[in-house]
Amino acid sequence: MTSTANADHDVTGSADSAVPADADHRDVLVDVRGVKVHFPIRKGVIFDKTIGYVYAVDGVDLQIRRGETYGLVGESGCGKSTLGRAILNLEPPTEGSVTFDGVDIASLKGEELRRKRQDIQMVFQDPMSSLDPRQSVESLLLEGLKAHGLIENDAAANQRLRELLAAVGLPPAALKKYPHEFSGGQRQRIGIARALSVNPKLIVADEPVSALDVSVQAQVINLLEDLQEEFGLTYLVVAHDLAVVRHISDRVGVMYLGALAEEAPAADLYARPLHPYTRALLSAVPVPDPVIEDQRERILLTGDLPSPANPPTGCRFHTRCPWRQPTRCDTERPVLRTVELPGVPKDHRVACHWAEQIESGELRPHEVEAIAVEQTAGVLAPDSPIIGPTSIGEIG
Amino acid sequence: MSQTTSYASTSDAARHGDEPLLQVRDLKVTFKRQGEEPFVAVDGIDFDVRPGQTVGLVGESGCGKSVTSLAIMGLLPKRGNRVEGEVLFNGTDLLKLSDSDMRDRRGQELAMIFQDPLSSLNPVVPVGLQVAEVLERHKGMSRKAAMVVAREMLDKVGIPDPDRRLKDYPHQMSGGMRQRALIAIALACEPRLLIADEPTTALDVTIQAQILTLLKDLVRETGTALIMITHDLGVVAGLCDEVNVLYAGRIVERAERHPLFEQPRHPYTNGLLESIPKLEVGRGERLNPIPGSVADNLPWTSACAFAPRCLNALEVCREQTPQLEMDFGRALRCFNPVEVAR
Ligand SMILES: Nc1ncnc2c1ncn2[C@@H]1O[C@H](COP(=O)(O)OP(=O)(O)OP(=O)(O)O)[C@@H](O)[C@H]1O
Ligand SMILES: Nc1ncnc2c1ncn2[C@@H]1O[C@H](COP(=O)(O)OP(=O)(O)O)[C@@H](O)[C@H]1O
Ligand code: SF4
Ligand code: SF4
Ligand SMILES: [Mg+2]
Ligand SMILES: [Mg+2]
Repeated sequence: MTSTANADHDVTGSADSAVPADADHRDVLVDVRGVKVHFPIRKGVIFDKTIGYVYAVDGVDLQIRRGETYGLVGESGCGKSTLGRAILNLEPPTEGSVTFDGVDIASLKGEELRRKRQDIQMVFQDPMSSLDPRQSVESLLLEGLKAHGLIENDAAANQRLRELLAAVGLPPAALKKYPHEFSGGQRQRIGIARALSVNPKLIVADEPVSALDVSVQAQVINLLEDLQEEFGLTYLVVAHDLAVVRHISDRVGVMYLGALAEEAPAADLYARPLHPYTRALLSAVPVPDPVIEDQRERILLTGDLPSPANPPTGCRFHTRCPWRQPTRCDTERPVLRTVELPGVPKDHRVACHWAEQIESGELRPHEVEAIAVEQTAGVLAPDSPIIGPTSIGEIG
Repeated sequence: MSQTTSYASTSDAARHGDEPLLQVRDLKVTFKRQGEEPFVAVDGIDFDVRPGQTVGLVGESGCGKSVTSLAIMGLLPKRGNRVEGEVLFNGTDLLKLSDSDMRDRRGQELAMIFQDPLSSLNPVVPVGLQVAEVLERHKGMSRKAAMVVAREMLDKVGIPDPDRRLKDYPHQMSGGMRQRALIAIALACEPRLLIADEPTTALDVTIQAQILTLLKDLVRETGTALIMITHDLGVVAGLCDEVNVLYAGRIVERAERHPLFEQPRHPYTNGLLESIPKLEVGRGERLNPIPGSVADNLPWTSACAFAPRCLNALEVCREQTPQLEMDFGRALRCFNPVEVAR
């Protein structure tokens, strides 16, 4: 019933055909080409045999332009964080290349690599686990400055620290305190200040607000937007919350099982989702308005998300797609492409064979048989999926 | 498969007439560790649940939602806390029952599902058997008869291929399937009250939609009353007949869902709704966060806890405790409520 990829796993999202024709190359800060990140699954204590791979990222092309916010959404385990890490070369791609500011980052070594690292900083989901609890805020902030030789003297350092705290809305008194003395939102501000300290060009923010309560989440979203304007930053924001991504992004990429299903300017994507998965995702978001909730047309997907260790053949989404067709869907992997539809801009791209026919209503959705997916041992997203506040009560 | 689904389960029976199934009266839970100041996690909570009704408890992390539900279920740790007030279930005070009486009721008359199904399922027992065991214990069924019902339950909660899945261990299932299995266990004995504590928070949004639809269908079908605990106002908007908004251990506003969302009166409820990013609003439109954090709260004993963060605060708010008062069919704890419609 589910056809799965064969062992040699020969799928190519064809890198060249996916390049948007009108992208001005001088404007591109990050250029991701055909990137794949495959993690070996090992078994056996003595022989340590590789018995398969997790296809965490499996053929992604995307460009991030200077000064924009690129939002990456998708469900847990779809490869968002891994892609973010691959862009920083923290997870060297199995295949493909990442060019940052005109330089292939895989080619960098030693001093050069260190200098480039300064240009790309990361902000994490859980500020507590990313900040060393034994260091004061002052020493946390000085760390990066020192490592990159950005301190001339004490007076300058002091000045810089105050600027950073002011930028993220913390009082100067915060310098002498330790991470545990702050609330979640304040810790996230410290994390952001630390990323800012070395004057980066790009900030990769992985679920920057998903551990925060909504009231505080809004503070951090506003802060990120203000800082972008003030310092001309470029952002890659990875998040599972579609409303957050909509709010913060210029362009959005929707990921499903290691690849982009759709990419578009934020407003276009939300007004007119073309990929069946994007449609389902958007229709599933609960909206805080009973009037809307009572009338909503929901596309309920059946069954589990397939395992990234055993992704379906052809279109990754075909096992759950309500528009799946008897031809092409399970045999031919769709490429991210532009569509000829009135009112759809060139930079709205979708990886579905039937996007036009679905949009015109020529193809109608149908029932899908639910499939439960056996969980592969040891294949869990490393940071997943503590989403939203958890509390001590849950342990009871 | 496309379908119009609102999760709301409001049946007429739930709205009118019926005596409350559950009456929580002045519930207070205080934690005390040696050498530490006592900490009041739940500070005098009152609410009712009628048969077949879905009641929401919403609020941010740490406001006391889980402690409230654990207190109702008698699941708080034996030591280190004090529970006061009354939890009347069909007129019987659950807080006065012996441990063994309470254990009999749990699983049979009241059941609970949690955010993390893995920690509430037994890792070394196949899920089918876990459903069957509940039926054996509470309904006195034979293993054989219980397994037949267990299979039906797995099917009913939408687990594909139930014959095979009966033998699966929890770790072999996805998060969504585990939550379904937990719902099957919770509903096996047709309890009259189900408490769901953030049942979809750890799940992806498409799986969340499946689980919420399932819960809605099941409570409607079986007439089970549901207490839905969540921090997500979107979930509440689609699911609950009545909503209680909690702040720092107290209910600050209670209303039916339509009036609550149309015109939130408490500044905290209003602030929460204002700070949520909306799907239809894009870049350039700033969010309106609630300033500060819960670390700024004042003690309820001599003030409104929310005063330091409240845009409507008056002088009196820092000097006196606002009481929960009825105001045109809604309960409100505020000296200076929001007047205008949003
Ligand atoms: N170091 C690793 N070894 C093995 N598998 C890994 C590793 N890192 C990630 N994976 C797998 O790769 C897939 C993608 O992981 P990733 O964390 O990038 O997903 P994600 O979309 O960011 O998930 P989430 O939203 O839960 O954070 C997952 O199936 C995960 O289990
Ligand atoms: N066993 C415990 N000991 C001490 N404090 C506790 C315990 N359980 C919960 N608390 C505290 O009670 C408050 C309310 O917790 P909880 O009900 O879990 O919040 P939530 O609304 O997020 O579910 C929190 O401040 C929490 O830290
Ligand atoms: S290619 Fe086929 S299976 Fe994939 S999204 Fe389009 S219609 Fe669905
Ligand atoms: S009582 Fe005062 S401080 Fe508290 S919510 Fe109402 S107006 Fe605000
Ligand atoms: Mg992640
Ligand atoms: Mg909780």
